[in-house]
Amino acid sequence: MFSKEKTILAYTVEKCPQCNLERKRKFKEGDFLFSETSKCDSCNGITVIEKIFGEPIEK
Amino acid sequence: MLIWIVPIVIFVFYGQRIQLSITSGEIKKGIKKLEQYKTNSRNELIEYVKKNMNPKDDPTKKIDRFLDYFTIMPVDMDPNGIVAKVRHIVRAREDYSRDHVKSLSPQTSALELTKIQTLLEIATSLQMIYKVINHLYLTAKKQNNYPLILPLQMILPFIMEEAEAMHKAIPAFKTGQPIGDGIGPMVVGKMMLDTKKESIAFQTVLSETQYDGRKLFLLKAEGPGSTVGRPGDAVESIVSKNKPDVIIMVDAALKMEGEDSATVAQGFGAAIGGIGTERFQIEDIATKNNIPIFAIVIKQSVKEAITLMTKEIADKADNVRLQIYEMIHDNTKPGQSILLIGVGNTMGVPQ
Repeated sequence: MFSKEKTILAYTVEKCPQCNLERKRKFKEGDFLFSETSKCDSCNGITVIEKIFGEPIEK
Repeated sequence: MLIWIVPIVIFVFYGQRIQLSITSGEIKKGIKKLEQYKTNSRNELIEYVKKNMNPKDDPTKKIDRFLDYFTIMPVDMDPNGIVAKVRHIVRAREDYSRDHVKSLSPQTSALELTKIQTLLEIATSLQMIYKVINHLYLTAKKQNNYPLILPLQMILPFIMEEAEAMHKAIPAFKTGQPIGDGIGPMVVGKMMLDTKKESIAFQTVLSETQYDGRKLFLLKAEGPGSTVGRPGDAVESIVSKNKPDVIIMVDAALKMEGEDSATVAQGFGAAIGGIGTERFQIEDIATKNNIPIFAIVIKQSVKEAITLMTKEIADKADNVRLQIYEMIHDNTKPGQSILLIGVGNTMGVPQ
């Protein structure tokens, strides 16, 4: 009765298969799991989308 | 004395009417919300079709006609052969509604088509829920019948929970995000990467790999579209060519109240939801060929199952994969073959 409606934000987690570096960013339309996205920040590997999920944001 | 008698007389003669008016106030609020869900889902569907399918003509009229499609389930007085009849009717409905949606704009991609078909299913379900609940409410009001409104009052919270979940699922399907039910395909899809995939049944893919001296057949619905595939037909086809020694099914399962979300449990039997035709088919094949079926389920609520996957569920993917390998080790020997099925809607989950 008193529970507040929470806003859920979608996030994408990219992981570099070479150095295992993970980066969390906001979800963009066109993101699919396991697809290659960008160059890794720390090595020359190509990051792959590992997870897409929703998390509630605190207001 | 009169102060005591008057209320008693009022409650004796008008008690039910008073209760009816109090209860109907609560139900009315619920119906108003259901009407909002119904209208929103219809409007969002029309908007999405206009934006993503670019139809030549205004699709509103056609979509309104699609929303009114109904399904008459087969007679069950004689249950013999009813599963095949149900499967036939449900598949015919799916096939024809897919064709009808495609007719709005034939160049639409298969991915968009699956999304629109799911959005149409949501809007149709919300419309049906609203119509049925409103009918029950108006009938009780018309008859001034309090007992008639009681079952409605009891089921309404459950109906509202499902309707709210369906309404909240719309953004995930529009943007192609994986939903909670997609955890099975997500786990198996990752194992299928870098393997040769083949289409084994309608919207269902199979690939082969090796694990610790065992042959693994990996099966899931074809992603990243919004579909559950046809695992029943796929299992039938696989078993007729290469009989596996064990079947392992990974699926999302509804958690009980009080249970933690995203807990993983192992068990026996075919872990697959839906109306039961796919489960019947898989159980039938497994029984005829004496193949044991093991299941791994990831518990979640109705809402979690059909809305954007939560972090807790997504974080369990690696753990589930480990449990699959453990299960294979414990229940099979090197040289044997295992059919691993990732059951669920594969929206946003390729392979």
